[in-house]
Amino acid sequence: MILAGGQGERLYPLTKDRSKPSVPFGGLYRIIDFTLSNCVNSGLRRIYVLTQYKSSSLMRHIKLGWNVFSSEMGEYIHTIPPQLRVGAQWYQGTADALYQNIYQLELERPKRVLILSGDHVYRMDYGPMIEAHVQSGAAVSIATALVGAAECSRFGVIETDDANRVVGFEEKPQAPRRPPGPDGLVQVSMGIYIFDTDVLVRSVSEDAKRATTHDFGRDIIPALIPAGRVHAFPFRDPEGAPGYWRDIGTLASYYEANMDLVHVSPVFNLYDKALPLRTHPRPLPPAKTVFAQEFEGGRLGTALDCLICGGAIVSGGKVERSILSPFVKVNSYARVEDTILLDRVVVGRHAKIRRAIVDKDVHIPEGFTIGYDREADAKRFLVTPEGIAVIPKGALLED
Amino acid sequence: MAKLLVVDDEKNLRALYQSELTRDGHEVVVAFDGQEALKLLDQVKPDLVVLDIRMPGIDGLETMARLLSRENTLPVILNTAYSSYRDSFLSWSADAYVIKSSDLTELKSKIREVLQARADEKGAQAR
Repeated sequence: MILAGGQGERLYPLTKDRSKPSVPFGGLYRIIDFTLSNCVNSGLRRIYVLTQYKSSSLMRHIKLGWNVFSSEMGEYIHTIPPQLRVGAQWYQGTADALYQNIYQLELERPKRVLILSGDHVYRMDYGPMIEAHVQSGAAVSIATALVGAAECSRFGVIETDDANRVVGFEEKPQAPRRPPGPDGLVQVSMGIYIFDTDVLVRSVSEDAKRATTHDFGRDIIPALIPAGRVHAFPFRDPEGAPGYWRDIGTLASYYEANMDLVHVSPVFNLYDKALPLRTHPRPLPPAKTVFAQEFEGGRLGTALDCLICGGAIVSGGKVERSILSPFVKVNSYARVEDTILLDRVVVGRHAKIRRAIVDKDVHIPEGFTIGYDREADAKRFLVTPEGIAVIPKGALLED
Repeated sequence: MAKLLVVDDEKNLRALYQSELTRDGHEVVVAFDGQEALKLLDQVKPDLVVLDIRMPGIDGLETMARLLSRENTLPVILNTAYSSYRDSFLSWSADAYVIKSSDLTELKSKIREVLQARADEKGAQAR
Protein backbone atom coordinates (compact mmCIF):
# COMPACT_ATOMS: atom_id res chain seq x y z
CA MET A 1 0.00 0.00 0.00
CA ILE A 2 1.68 3.17 -1.17
CA LEU A 3 0.64 6.36 0.55
CA ALA A 4 0.64 8.87 -2.25
CA GLY A 5 -1.71 11.53 -0.98
CA GLY A 6 0.89 14.01 0.15
CA GLN A 7 -0.12 17.56 -0.57
CA GLY A 8 3.51 18.65 -0.57
CA GLU A 9 2.77 22.16 0.58
CA ARG A 10 6.47 22.78 1.18
CA LEU A 11 7.26 21.90 -2.42
CA TYR A 12 4.96 24.61 -3.69
CA PRO A 13 4.86 25.80 -6.52
CA LEU A 14 6.00 22.43 -7.90
CA THR A 15 2.88 20.97 -6.28
CA LYS A 16 0.56 23.70 -7.56
CA ASP A 17 -1.09 21.30 -10.01
CA ARG A 18 0.15 17.90 -8.87
CA SER A 19 0.64 15.86 -5.74
CA LYS A 20 4.09 15.36 -4.29
CA PRO A 21 4.64 11.82 -5.63
CA SER A 22 3.92 13.12 -9.09
CA VAL A 23 6.56 15.87 -9.05
CA PRO A 24 9.10 15.32 -11.88
CA PHE A 25 12.54 14.19 -10.84
CA GLY A 26 15.88 13.53 -12.51
CA GLY A 27 14.71 14.68 -15.93
CA LEU A 28 12.68 11.64 -16.92
CA TYR A 29 11.09 10.41 -13.74
CA ARG A 30 8.50 11.28 -11.17
CA ILE A 31 9.16 10.87 -7.48
CA ILE A 32 6.82 7.87 -7.13
CA ASP A 33 8.87 5.96 -9.74
CA PHE A 34 11.49 5.23 -7.07
CA THR A 35 9.04 3.43 -4.82
CA LEU A 36 7.25 1.67 -7.68
CA SER A 37 10.57 0.53 -9.17
CA ASN A 38 11.59 -0.80 -5.76
CA CYS A 39 8.36 -2.80 -5.61
CA VAL A 40 8.81 -4.32 -9.05
CA ASN A 41 12.52 -4.99 -8.44
CA SER A 42 11.55 -6.71 -5.18
CA GLY A 43 8.99 -8.89 -6.93
CA LEU A 44 6.05 -7.16 -5.27
CA ARG A 45 3.36 -6.88 -7.87
CA ARG A 46 0.15 -6.38 -5.97
CA ILE A 47 0.05 -2.70 -5.32
CA TYR A 48 -2.48 -0.19 -4.14
CA VAL A 49 -1.61 3.46 -4.53
CA LEU A 50 -3.71 5.56 -2.17
CA THR A 51 -4.15 8.98 -3.67
CA GLN A 52 -5.82 12.10 -2.43
CA TYR A 53 -5.03 15.69 -3.41
CA LYS A 54 -4.67 16.69 -7.06
CA SER A 55 -4.31 13.10 -8.10
CA SER A 56 -5.06 13.35 -11.82
CA SER A 57 -1.42 13.83 -12.84
CA LEU A 58 -0.36 10.87 -10.69
CA MET A 59 -3.15 8.63 -11.94
CA ARG A 60 -2.29 9.45 -15.53
CA HIS A 61 1.37 8.70 -14.91
CA ILE A 62 0.60 5.33 -13.35
CA LYS A 63 -1.86 4.42 -16.07
CA LEU A 64 0.56 5.31 -18.86
CA GLY A 65 3.82 4.34 -17.24
CA TRP A 66 3.11 1.42 -14.96
CA ASN A 67 0.83 -0.75 -17.00
CA VAL A 68 3.28 -3.62 -16.51
CA PHE A 69 1.24 -5.90 -14.28
CA SER A 70 -0.46 -9.01 -15.48
CA SER A 71 -3.96 -9.48 -14.15
CA GLU A 72 -3.84 -13.06 -15.39
CA MET A 73 -1.00 -13.66 -12.94
CA GLY A 74 -2.95 -12.03 -10.12
CA GLU A 75 -0.88 -8.88 -10.33
CA TYR A 76 -2.24 -5.37 -10.18
CA ILE A 77 -1.58 -1.76 -9.52
CA HIS A 78 -4.70 0.12 -8.50
CA THR A 79 -4.86 3.78 -7.70
CA ILE A 80 -7.56 4.38 -5.15
CA PRO A 81 -8.88 7.82 -4.34
CA PRO A 82 -10.64 8.16 -0.97
CA GLN A 83 -13.71 5.93 -1.05
CA LEU A 84 -15.42 7.57 1.91
CA ARG A 85 -16.70 4.14 2.95
CA VAL A 86 -15.97 4.57 6.62
CA GLY A 87 -15.09 8.22 6.75
CA ALA A 88 -17.06 11.25 5.71
CA GLN A 89 -13.89 13.15 4.96
CA TRP A 90 -10.61 12.79 3.18
CA TYR A 91 -7.81 11.00 4.96
CA GLN A 92 -7.12 12.48 8.36
CA GLY A 93 -3.67 10.92 8.60
CA THR A 94 -1.57 8.02 7.35
CA ALA A 95 -3.31 5.51 9.61
CA ASP A 96 -6.70 6.80 8.52
CA ALA A 97 -5.71 6.22 4.89
CA LEU A 98 -5.18 2.54 5.74
CA TYR A 99 -8.31 2.37 7.88
CA GLN A 100 -10.44 3.72 5.07
CA ASN A 101 -9.06 1.01 2.80
CA ILE A 102 -9.57 -2.00 5.06
CA TYR A 103 -12.12 -3.17 2.53
CA GLN A 104 -9.28 -3.73 0.03
CA LEU A 105 -7.41 -5.80 2.61
CA GLU A 106 -10.55 -7.80 3.30
CA LEU A 107 -10.82 -8.61 -0.41
CA GLU A 108 -7.17 -9.66 -0.68
CA ARG A 109 -6.58 -11.07 2.84
CA PRO A 110 -2.77 -10.87 2.63
CA LYS A 111 -0.64 -12.23 5.46
CA ARG A 112 1.43 -9.09 5.60
CA VAL A 113 1.15 -5.56 4.31
CA LEU A 114 4.08 -3.41 3.24
CA ILE A 115 3.30 0.25 3.73
CA LEU A 116 5.33 2.64 1.63
CA SER A 117 5.47 6.30 0.91
CA GLY A 118 5.20 7.68 -2.60
CA ASP A 119 7.53 10.60 -2.05
CA HIS A 120 10.87 9.09 -1.09
CA VAL A 121 14.00 8.85 -3.22
CA TYR A 122 15.89 5.63 -2.57
CA ARG A 123 16.65 2.25 -4.02
CA MET A 124 15.76 -0.68 -1.84
CA ASP A 125 15.11 -4.36 -2.24
CA TYR A 126 12.30 -4.98 0.23
CA GLY A 127 13.00 -8.73 0.19
CA PRO A 128 15.59 -8.77 3.01
CA MET A 129 13.31 -6.61 5.15
CA ILE A 130 10.38 -8.93 4.66
CA GLU A 131 12.62 -11.89 5.47
CA ALA A 132 13.92 -10.23 8.62
CA HIS A 133 10.36 -9.43 9.63
CA VAL A 134 9.29 -13.05 9.33
CA GLN A 135 12.43 -14.37 11.05
CA SER A 136 12.17 -11.96 13.99
CA GLY A 137 8.58 -12.83 14.80
CA ALA A 138 7.81 -9.12 14.95
CA ALA A 139 4.28 -7.89 14.37
CA VAL A 140 5.63 -4.71 12.82
CA SER A 141 8.98 -3.89 11.24
CA ILE A 142 10.11 -0.35 10.53
CA ALA A 143 12.83 0.44 8.02
CA THR A 144 15.30 2.91 9.49
CA ALA A 145 17.90 5.28 8.12
CA LEU A 146 20.64 7.33 9.76
CA VAL A 147 20.49 11.13 9.74
CA GLY A 148 22.49 13.85 11.46
CA ALA A 149 21.24 14.66 14.98
CA ALA A 150 20.49 18.23 13.89
CA GLU A 151 17.91 16.91 11.41
CA CYS A 152 16.00 14.74 13.85
CA SER A 153 13.18 17.26 14.29
CA ARG A 154 11.97 16.24 10.81
CA PHE A 155 11.81 12.52 11.59
CA GLY A 156 10.58 9.85 13.97
CA VAL A 157 13.61 8.95 16.08
CA ILE A 158 13.93 5.28 16.96
CA GLU A 159 15.70 3.66 19.89
CA THR A 160 16.43 -0.05 19.68
CA ASP A 161 17.96 -2.72 21.88
CA ASP A 162 20.75 -5.03 20.70
CA ALA A 163 18.27 -7.30 18.94
CA ASN A 164 16.88 -4.40 16.84
CA ARG A 165 13.74 -4.37 18.92
CA VAL A 166 12.26 -0.89 19.11
CA VAL A 167 12.20 0.32 22.70
CA GLY A 168 11.58 4.00 22.13
CA PHE A 169 10.03 6.22 19.49
CA GLU A 170 9.85 9.98 19.44
CA GLU A 171 8.07 11.75 16.61
CA LYS A 172 9.96 14.83 15.42
CA PRO A 173 11.78 15.72 18.66
CA GLN A 174 13.83 18.91 18.95
CA ALA A 175 16.74 16.80 20.15
CA PRO A 176 17.09 13.02 20.45
CA ARG A 177 16.44 11.62 23.92
CA ARG A 178 19.44 9.34 23.68
CA PRO A 179 22.67 11.06 22.59
CA PRO A 180 23.70 10.30 19.00
CA GLY A 181 26.47 7.78 18.28
CA PRO A 182 30.11 8.82 17.85
CA ASP A 183 29.35 9.54 14.19
CA GLY A 184 26.74 12.11 15.23
CA LEU A 185 23.98 10.10 13.57
CA VAL A 186 20.62 9.03 14.91
CA GLN A 187 18.38 6.22 13.71
CA VAL A 188 15.10 7.44 12.24
CA SER A 189 12.01 5.83 10.76
CA MET A 190 11.78 5.90 6.98
CA GLY A 191 7.99 5.66 7.22
CA ILE A 192 8.19 2.20 5.68
CA TYR A 193 6.43 -0.52 7.62
CA ILE A 194 5.71 -4.20 7.32
CA PHE A 195 2.70 -5.21 9.36
CA ASP A 196 1.17 -8.56 10.04
CA THR A 197 -2.21 -7.80 8.56
CA ASP A 198 -4.25 -8.65 11.65
CA VAL A 199 -2.14 -6.31 13.77
CA LEU A 200 -2.47 -3.57 11.18
CA VAL A 201 -6.24 -3.88 10.93
CA ARG A 202 -6.65 -4.12 14.69
CA SER A 203 -4.44 -1.08 15.26
CA VAL A 204 -5.95 1.26 12.70
CA SER A 205 -9.50 0.17 13.57
CA GLU A 206 -8.94 0.95 17.23
CA ASP A 207 -7.13 4.17 16.47
CA ALA A 208 -9.96 5.31 14.18
CA LYS A 209 -12.29 5.34 17.18
CA ARG A 210 -10.09 7.62 19.19
CA ALA A 211 -9.36 11.31 19.10
CA THR A 212 -5.82 10.95 17.78
CA THR A 213 -3.98 12.38 14.80
CA HIS A 214 -4.44 8.99 13.07
CA ASP A 215 -0.78 8.89 12.16
CA PHE A 216 1.50 5.84 12.07
CA GLY A 217 4.44 7.68 13.59
CA ARG A 218 2.54 9.56 16.25
CA ASP A 219 -0.16 7.11 17.26
CA ILE A 220 0.04 3.58 15.88
CA ILE A 221 3.71 2.72 16.44
CA PRO A 222 4.02 4.19 19.96
CA ALA A 223 0.95 2.20 21.03
CA LEU A 224 2.52 -1.05 19.77
CA ILE A 225 5.97 -0.65 21.31
CA PRO A 226 5.13 -1.74 24.87
CA ALA A 227 4.15 -5.21 23.65
CA GLY A 228 7.71 -5.58 22.33
CA ARG A 229 6.81 -6.74 18.85
CA VAL A 230 8.05 -3.74 16.87
CA HIS A 231 11.41 -4.27 15.20
CA ALA A 232 13.72 -1.95 13.30
CA PHE A 233 15.28 -2.91 10.00
CA PRO A 234 18.36 -0.77 9.32
CA PHE A 235 18.34 0.00 5.61
CA ARG A 236 21.68 -0.79 3.98
CA ASP A 237 22.89 -0.79 0.40
CA PRO A 238 24.18 -4.02 -1.17
CA GLU A 239 27.68 -3.21 0.16
CA GLY A 240 26.40 -3.00 3.71
CA ALA A 241 26.79 0.75 4.05
CA PRO A 242 23.85 2.89 5.20
CA GLY A 243 21.57 3.21 2.17
CA TYR A 244 20.86 6.47 0.35
CA TRP A 245 17.40 7.66 1.24
CA ARG A 246 15.83 11.08 0.91
CA ASP A 247 12.46 12.23 2.03
CA ILE A 248 11.76 15.00 -0.45
CA GLY A 249 10.25 17.35 2.10
CA THR A 250 11.40 20.76 0.95
CA LEU A 251 12.37 22.58 -2.22
CA ALA A 252 15.97 22.58 -0.98
CA SER A 253 16.01 18.80 -0.49
CA TYR A 254 14.32 18.38 -3.88
CA TYR A 255 17.01 20.52 -5.47
CA GLU A 256 19.89 18.78 -3.69
CA ALA A 257 18.61 15.29 -4.46
CA ASN A 258 18.31 16.20 -8.15
CA MET A 259 21.70 17.87 -8.22
CA ASP A 260 23.27 14.79 -6.68
CA LEU A 261 22.50 12.96 -9.92
CA VAL A 262 24.74 15.33 -11.88
CA HIS A 263 27.91 14.44 -9.93
CA VAL A 264 30.54 12.25 -11.58
CA SER A 265 29.75 9.40 -9.18
CA PRO A 266 26.39 10.26 -7.72
CA VAL A 267 25.26 8.59 -4.51
CA PHE A 268 22.16 7.53 -6.40
CA ASN A 269 23.16 5.71 -9.56
CA LEU A 270 20.54 5.91 -12.30
CA TYR A 271 22.61 3.51 -14.40
CA ASP A 272 22.38 0.54 -12.01
CA LYS A 273 21.31 -2.42 -14.11
CA ALA A 274 20.55 -4.76 -11.23
CA LEU A 275 17.82 -2.58 -9.74
CA PRO A 276 16.74 -0.38 -12.62
CA LEU A 277 14.63 2.70 -12.19
CA ARG A 278 11.77 2.71 -14.62
CA THR A 279 9.16 5.24 -15.59
CA HIS A 280 6.60 6.06 -18.22
CA PRO A 281 8.47 5.21 -21.46
CA ARG A 282 8.12 7.89 -24.06
CA PRO A 283 9.31 7.84 -27.65
CA LEU A 284 11.88 10.62 -27.39
CA PRO A 285 14.19 11.68 -30.20
CA PRO A 286 17.89 11.83 -29.30
CA ALA A 287 19.36 14.73 -27.37
CA LYS A 288 21.36 17.06 -29.54
CA THR A 289 23.94 19.80 -29.33
CA VAL A 290 24.48 22.15 -32.22
CA PHE A 291 26.77 24.92 -33.35
CA ALA A 292 30.40 24.14 -33.04
CA GLN A 293 31.70 27.63 -33.74
CA GLU A 294 34.75 27.47 -31.54
CA PHE A 295 35.91 30.99 -32.16
CA GLU A 296 35.49 34.27 -30.29
CA GLY A 297 31.84 35.35 -30.50
CA GLY A 298 30.82 32.09 -32.16
CA ARG A 299 27.81 30.01 -31.23
CA LEU A 300 28.96 27.03 -29.21
CA GLY A 301 26.42 24.54 -27.88
CA THR A 302 27.92 22.87 -24.79
CA ALA A 303 26.63 20.87 -21.88
CA LEU A 304 29.06 19.91 -19.10
CA ASP A 305 28.23 17.86 -16.00
CA CYS A 306 24.61 17.56 -17.08
CA LEU A 307 21.81 15.07 -17.41
CA ILE A 308 20.41 15.55 -20.90
CA CYS A 309 17.15 13.80 -21.70
CA GLY A 310 15.91 12.78 -25.11
CA GLY A 311 14.47 15.56 -27.16
CA ALA A 312 16.58 18.24 -25.49
CA ILE A 313 18.56 20.55 -27.74
CA VAL A 314 21.45 22.70 -26.63
CA SER A 315 21.49 25.10 -29.51
CA GLY A 316 24.44 27.42 -29.16
CA GLY A 317 24.07 27.98 -25.40
CA LYS A 318 26.24 26.79 -22.53
CA VAL A 319 24.88 24.57 -19.78
CA GLU A 320 26.75 23.37 -16.70
CA ARG A 321 25.77 21.18 -13.73
CA SER A 322 22.13 21.09 -14.74
CA ILE A 323 19.30 18.76 -15.63
CA LEU A 324 17.74 19.14 -19.05
CA SER A 325 14.39 17.37 -19.27
CA PRO A 326 12.77 16.20 -22.50
CA PHE A 327 12.35 18.85 -25.19
CA VAL A 328 14.21 21.56 -23.34
CA LYS A 329 15.90 24.02 -25.67
CA VAL A 330 18.77 26.30 -24.74
CA ASN A 331 19.37 28.93 -27.38
CA SER A 332 22.52 30.70 -28.46
CA TYR A 333 24.68 32.59 -25.99
CA ALA A 334 22.39 31.60 -23.10
CA ARG A 335 24.08 30.37 -19.90
CA VAL A 336 22.46 27.86 -17.58
CA GLU A 337 24.22 26.74 -14.39
CA ASP A 338 23.18 24.58 -11.42
CA THR A 339 19.61 24.53 -12.65
CA ILE A 340 16.80 22.06 -13.15
CA LEU A 341 14.88 22.69 -16.37
CA LEU A 342 11.70 20.63 -16.63
CA ASP A 343 10.02 19.51 -19.82
CA ARG A 344 9.76 21.89 -22.75
CA VAL A 345 11.45 24.84 -21.07
CA VAL A 346 12.97 27.14 -23.67
CA VAL A 347 15.81 29.42 -22.69
CA GLY A 348 16.04 32.43 -24.97
CA ARG A 349 19.23 33.87 -26.45
CA HIS A 350 21.58 35.59 -24.04
CA ALA A 351 19.45 34.61 -21.04
CA LYS A 352 21.37 33.72 -17.87
CA ILE A 353 20.06 31.34 -15.24
CA ARG A 354 21.72 29.85 -12.20
CA ARG A 355 20.48 28.00 -9.10
CA ALA A 356 16.89 27.71 -10.27
CA ILE A 357 14.15 25.17 -10.72
CA VAL A 358 12.11 25.97 -13.83
CA ASP A 359 8.89 23.99 -14.08
CA LYS A 360 7.42 22.78 -17.37
CA ASP A 361 6.49 24.93 -20.35
CA VAL A 362 8.23 28.11 -19.28
CA HIS A 363 9.75 30.29 -21.98
CA ILE A 364 12.63 32.31 -20.64
CA PRO A 365 12.73 35.44 -22.78
CA GLU A 366 15.82 36.62 -24.59
CA GLY A 367 18.32 38.31 -22.28
CA PHE A 368 16.36 37.40 -19.11
CA THR A 369 18.34 36.67 -15.93
CA ILE A 370 17.49 34.51 -12.92
CA GLY A 371 19.81 33.89 -10.00
CA TYR A 372 22.01 36.96 -10.28
CA ASP A 373 19.95 39.48 -8.31
CA ARG A 374 18.19 37.87 -5.40
CA GLU A 375 16.03 40.87 -4.58
CA ALA A 376 14.78 41.20 -8.12
CA ASP A 377 14.14 37.45 -8.28
CA ALA A 378 12.23 37.48 -5.00
CA LYS A 379 9.86 40.10 -6.39
CA ARG A 380 8.86 37.78 -9.21
CA PHE A 381 9.36 34.25 -7.94
CA LEU A 382 9.53 32.13 -4.86
CA VAL A 383 13.16 32.10 -3.72
CA THR A 384 14.05 29.57 -1.03
CA PRO A 385 16.17 30.54 2.00
CA GLU A 386 19.01 28.74 0.23
CA GLY A 387 18.63 31.13 -2.71
CA ILE A 388 17.03 28.75 -5.20
CA ALA A 389 14.49 30.49 -7.44
CA VAL A 390 11.47 28.42 -8.47
CA ILE A 391 9.54 29.33 -11.61
CA PRO A 392 6.07 27.75 -11.72
CA LYS A 393 4.76 25.67 -14.59
CA GLY A 394 3.80 27.71 -17.62
CA ALA A 395 4.71 31.03 -15.97
CA LEU A 396 4.66 33.95 -18.35
CA LEU A 397 7.83 35.97 -18.06
CA GLU A 398 8.29 39.39 -19.59
CA ASP A 399 11.46 41.02 -20.73
CA MET B 1 -27.54 4.98 33.11
CA ALA B 2 -26.55 4.71 29.48
CA LYS B 3 -28.61 5.37 26.41
CA LEU B 4 -28.56 2.41 24.03
CA LEU B 5 -29.63 2.21 20.43
CA VAL B 6 -30.49 -1.40 19.60
CA VAL B 7 -30.84 -2.34 15.94
CA ASP B 8 -32.49 -5.62 14.94
CA ASP B 9 -34.89 -6.56 12.18
CA GLU B 10 -36.72 -9.14 14.31
CA LYS B 11 -39.64 -7.68 16.12
CA ASN B 12 -39.65 -10.19 18.96
CA LEU B 13 -35.98 -9.70 19.63
CA ARG B 14 -36.40 -5.93 19.70
CA ALA B 15 -39.08 -6.36 22.34
CA LEU B 16 -36.84 -8.71 24.32
CA TYR B 17 -33.86 -6.33 24.23
CA GLN B 18 -36.05 -3.39 25.10
CA SER B 19 -37.42 -4.98 28.24
CA GLU B 20 -34.29 -6.82 29.40
CA LEU B 21 -31.86 -3.98 28.87
CA THR B 22 -34.26 -1.47 30.38
CA ARG B 23 -34.48 -3.74 33.41
CA ASP B 24 -30.68 -3.68 33.46
CA GLY B 25 -30.85 0.06 34.00
CA HIS B 26 -30.41 1.41 30.50
CA GLU B 27 -32.52 3.74 28.43
CA VAL B 28 -33.24 1.77 25.26
CA VAL B 29 -34.26 3.01 21.83
CA VAL B 30 -34.81 0.39 19.13
CA ALA B 31 -34.47 0.61 15.37
CA PHE B 32 -35.73 -1.99 12.90
CA ASP B 33 -32.96 -1.63 10.33
CA GLY B 34 -29.73 0.16 9.50
CA GLN B 35 -31.42 2.99 7.66
CA GLU B 36 -33.58 3.79 10.69
CA ALA B 37 -30.57 3.58 12.99
CA LEU B 38 -28.78 6.16 10.87
CA LYS B 39 -31.86 8.35 10.96
CA LEU B 40 -32.05 8.10 14.73
CA LEU B 41 -28.37 8.75 15.42
CA ASP B 42 -28.49 12.51 15.82
CA GLN B 43 -31.86 12.50 17.55
CA VAL B 44 -31.05 9.77 20.10
CA LYS B 45 -27.33 10.49 20.58
CA PRO B 46 -26.75 6.99 22.00
CA ASP B 47 -23.87 6.10 24.31
CA LEU B 48 -23.63 2.73 22.61
CA VAL B 49 -25.15 0.91 19.66
CA VAL B 50 -26.04 -2.80 19.63
CA LEU B 51 -26.14 -3.85 16.02
CA ASP B 52 -27.43 -6.94 14.25
CA ILE B 53 -25.50 -7.81 11.10
CA ARG B 54 -27.87 -9.66 8.79
CA MET B 55 -30.68 -7.28 8.07
CA PRO B 56 -32.58 -6.36 4.94
CA GLY B 57 -31.22 -3.28 3.17
CA ILE B 58 -27.87 -2.04 4.44
CA ASP B 59 -26.37 -4.71 6.66
CA GLY B 60 -24.88 -4.21 10.09
CA LEU B 61 -21.28 -3.87 8.91
CA GLU B 62 -22.21 -1.16 6.46
CA THR B 63 -24.41 0.50 9.06
CA MET B 64 -21.50 0.49 11.49
CA ALA B 65 -19.20 2.06 8.90
CA ARG B 66 -21.72 4.80 8.22
CA LEU B 67 -22.39 5.40 11.92
CA LEU B 68 -18.66 5.65 12.62
CA SER B 69 -18.08 7.96 9.70
CA ARG B 70 -20.40 10.38 11.48
CA GLU B 71 -19.41 9.63 15.09
CA ASN B 72 -16.00 8.02 15.06
CA THR B 73 -15.88 7.43 18.81
CA LEU B 74 -19.32 5.79 19.03
CA PRO B 75 -19.09 2.41 20.83
CA VAL B 76 -20.63 -0.40 18.79
CA ILE B 77 -21.36 -4.00 19.76
CA LEU B 78 -22.10 -6.39 16.92
CA ASN B 79 -24.78 -8.82 18.01
CA THR B 80 -25.34 -11.58 15.50
CA ALA B 81 -26.40 -15.19 15.21
CA TYR B 82 -23.35 -15.89 13.02
CA SER B 83 -19.75 -16.25 14.10
CA SER B 84 -18.42 -16.03 10.54
CA TYR B 85 -18.37 -12.23 10.44
CA ARG B 86 -15.87 -12.24 13.27
CA ASP B 87 -13.10 -12.96 10.73
CA SER B 88 -14.07 -10.10 8.48
CA PHE B 89 -11.76 -7.12 8.92
CA LEU B 90 -14.82 -4.95 8.47
CA SER B 91 -16.17 -6.20 11.80
CA TRP B 92 -13.04 -5.23 13.69
CA SER B 93 -14.16 -1.66 14.13
CA ALA B 94 -16.66 -2.93 16.66
CA ASP B 95 -15.87 -2.73 20.37
CA ALA B 96 -17.24 -6.23 20.89
CA TYR B 97 -18.72 -9.11 18.98
CA VAL B 98 -21.49 -11.12 20.63
CA ILE B 99 -23.15 -14.28 19.33
CA LYS B 100 -26.91 -13.92 19.72
CA SER B 101 -28.57 -15.99 22.36
CA SER B 102 -31.90 -15.95 24.16
CA ASP B 103 -29.86 -15.58 27.30
CA LEU B 104 -28.69 -11.96 27.31
CA THR B 105 -26.06 -12.40 30.02
CA GLU B 106 -23.13 -12.05 27.66
CA LEU B 107 -24.59 -9.09 25.82
CA LYS B 108 -25.32 -7.33 29.09
CA SER B 109 -21.83 -7.88 30.44
CA LYS B 110 -20.26 -6.74 27.15
CA ILE B 111 -22.33 -3.57 27.26
CA ARG B 112 -21.04 -2.88 30.76
CA GLU B 113 -17.45 -3.70 29.77
CA VAL B 114 -17.44 -1.46 26.73
CA LEU B 115 -19.04 1.44 28.56
CA GLN B 116 -16.60 1.00 31.45
CA ALA B 117 -13.60 0.87 29.12
CA ARG B 118 -14.71 4.09 27.43
CA ALA B 119 -15.29 5.77 30.79
CA ASP B 120 -11.83 4.69 31.97
CA GLU B 121 -10.28 6.06 28.83
CA LYS B 122 -12.03 9.38 29.22
CA GLY B 123 -10.91 9.49 32.83
CA ALA B 124 -7.34 8.80 31.81
CA GLN B 125 -7.48 11.56 29.23
CA ALA B 126 -8.93 14.00 31.73
CA ARG B 127 -6.09 13.23 34.14
